[in-house]
Amino acid sequence: MGSENITNNPNHTKAIIEPEMRCLTANEEKVIVITGATSGIGLATVKEMAGRGAYVIGAGRSEERCRNAEQEVRKLYPDASVNYLTADLSSLAEVSALASNIRSRLSRDGKSAIDALVNNAGTVSSWYVSTVDGFELQFAVNHLAPFLLTHELLPLLERSQDGTVICISSGSHYRTRLHWNDIMLRKHYNTLMAYKQTKLANVMFVTELNRRLSAAGSRIKAFAVDPGLVNTDIGLKGTGGIVKKVWQLRSKGGTPPEQPARSVAYLVTEPAPRHTGQVYWKDCRPLKPSAYSRKPDAAKKLWELSERMCGIKAGSRGAGY
Amino acid sequence: MKSMVFITGASGGLGKAFAVECASRGWDLFLTDISETALSKLSTGLTNTYNIDVDHFCCDLTDFDSRTGLFEHLHEKGYAFSFLINVAGLDYEGPFAERTRNQIRTILRLNIEANLEMTHELIKLRDPARTFRIINVASLAAFYPMPVKAMYSSSKRFLLNFSRALGEELRSQDITVTALCPAGMPTTPACIEAIEAQGFAGRITTCNVGYVAAGTIDRALRGKSVYIPGTLNRMLKAVSTIVPEALVARAVGSRWSAAQCKRAAGA
Ligand SMILES: NC(=O)c1ccc[n+]([C@@H]2O[C@H](COP(=O)([O-])OP(=O)(O)OC[C@H]3O[C@@H](n4cnc5c(N)ncnc54)[C@H](OP(=O)(O)O)[C@@H]3O)[C@@H](O)[C@H]2O)c1
Repeated sequence: MGSENITNNPNHTKAIIEPEMRCLTANEEKVIVITGATSGIGLATVKEMAGRGAYVIGAGRSEERCRNAEQEVRKLYPDASVNYLTADLSSLAEVSALASNIRSRLSRDGKSAIDALVNNAGTVSSWYVSTVDGFELQFAVNHLAPFLLTHELLPLLERSQDGTVICISSGSHYRTRLHWNDIMLRKHYNTLMAYKQTKLANVMFVTELNRRLSAAGSRIKAFAVDPGLVNTDIGLKGTGGIVKKVWQLRSKGGTPPEQPARSVAYLVTEPAPRHTGQVYWKDCRPLKPSAYSRKPDAAKKLWELSERMCGIKAGSRGAGY
Repeated sequence: MKSMVFITGASGGLGKAFAVECASRGWDLFLTDISETALSKLSTGLTNTYNIDVDHFCCDLTDFDSRTGLFEHLHEKGYAFSFLINVAGLDYEGPFAERTRNQIRTILRLNIEANLEMTHELIKLRDPARTFRIINVASLAAFYPMPVKAMYSSSKRFLLNFSRALGEELRSQDITVTALCPAGMPTTPACIEAIEAQGFAGRITTCNVGYVAAGTIDRALRGKSVYIPGTLNRMLKAVSTIVPEALVARAVGSRWSAAQCKRAAGA
């Protein structure tokens, strides 16, 4: 999807480097939190990580769908440590509540750190819908929720030897910019324009987070994952008309969600990507993200705006970022 | 003290859109609705994002005493207003004969009585130094007699007539009155489903709330008396003025029952 390959590998086109499918040994058991874990890429990632013996907390918006997903994973891996928590991530209050539920669940289970946070939940809406906090729905779920959840969980990620933050972005981030005059597109809402902006915001957030974390001497690394075109139902929820019809046809040509799930697992379990300084990954390879996403002043501006929107005071976390 | 914008039904879809629009213009807000949690979440979001002052008061606008409590609060605080946006309103769609007495009373109280009273009280609290702008949310339904939405469309007709008359009456006092007459707006997932149920016709007559709120404020600032968002909707309204009402009523009725069937079948 318009990606620029910076590895310049001519054989790269279709082949994917399969990450080593090794299981984690008991003393390297990873604690991983995955949002949007009830379907598509998120659910596939839960299965992938549970299969490798990780301790997984999945989050979903519907209690029933969470229960079903948990059962589905247990059927595959009866001994898996998998727990689901419910939160509607369109509400900032629920994002914070999810963070505190995660903290108490971890302390109940004797876990003192989070090794990886995968911000995967995402949504598409055909219409301008405003959330309880007064934000546009896609902007709130796809950008503000990952921003706030990461902020809330950073102290726990800091305690890991190799804390990792992942945002599921998209190749659609290449063809857009942020519309600062009306960032939530209230006046001229367009489904795809709004969606692409949020996926660009994901890359900018991850980039700026890395910048701040490394300035503060943190070990945590943040990555954006481009899943490619994946066959999931994302374009069928909250949409109608042309958007829905196009997605029905298009998604069929996508890869199964297990493929991006392996990319996520690769970034979480392998040490190599951490030393590359690369932020944007597709099929276990680094790609150059869009030029716009690499603009430091734009990323800083977005960061500060997001802090204000989430009611976070600048530099209020222990990490010192 | 700066004058404020007063918004009723502020935590509903259109109310929120108005609140965000006004906040983005840097205006201070006073919000009311029936849910305290919803109001306080919205207030926090707006205060954080737009750096404005927001106060809110939880009030059941269908209830006389509750409204009295609201007015007392406003007097105590000594607020002055330059804008009143009456958004609160509801619809009990379905055959009139099957509605309950309670529903009849509630729709009258909210759509008509509360609107009149808010307007009446807020005029007294206007900021004398500024033009006072009133926006009443009517509906495109105000232009047609609508079977299955008979009470609703008539209550909106009432608001449309009232707004036009009041606008004339208050013109010399530097007060403007704008009636907003939108078609369906998808503001919640349930609403989206209903509009999708109307199929193509539902989709093309639909405008995004953000666009509607921004456009309405622009019109109110210019003192326009009626605003119908969407070119197609303006054409539909024009049709209602040249075609006999009985015919319009029949056409509207058949379209709604078709949509209802489709919805029921899909459910
Ligand atoms: N599919 C693609 O081709 C593609 C391409 C590029 C990027 N992506 C990104 O990949 C991520 C996952 O998408 P997907 O394709 O796997 O879609 P999906 O199957 O629809 O999964 C989205 C997940 O997010 C959850 N979610 C949606 N709104 C939520 C809310 N308000 N609160 C909490 N959870 C919510 C969904 O819950 P429910 O199960 O209850 O619906 C679901 O678990 C998204 O960030 C998307 O932008 C996808």
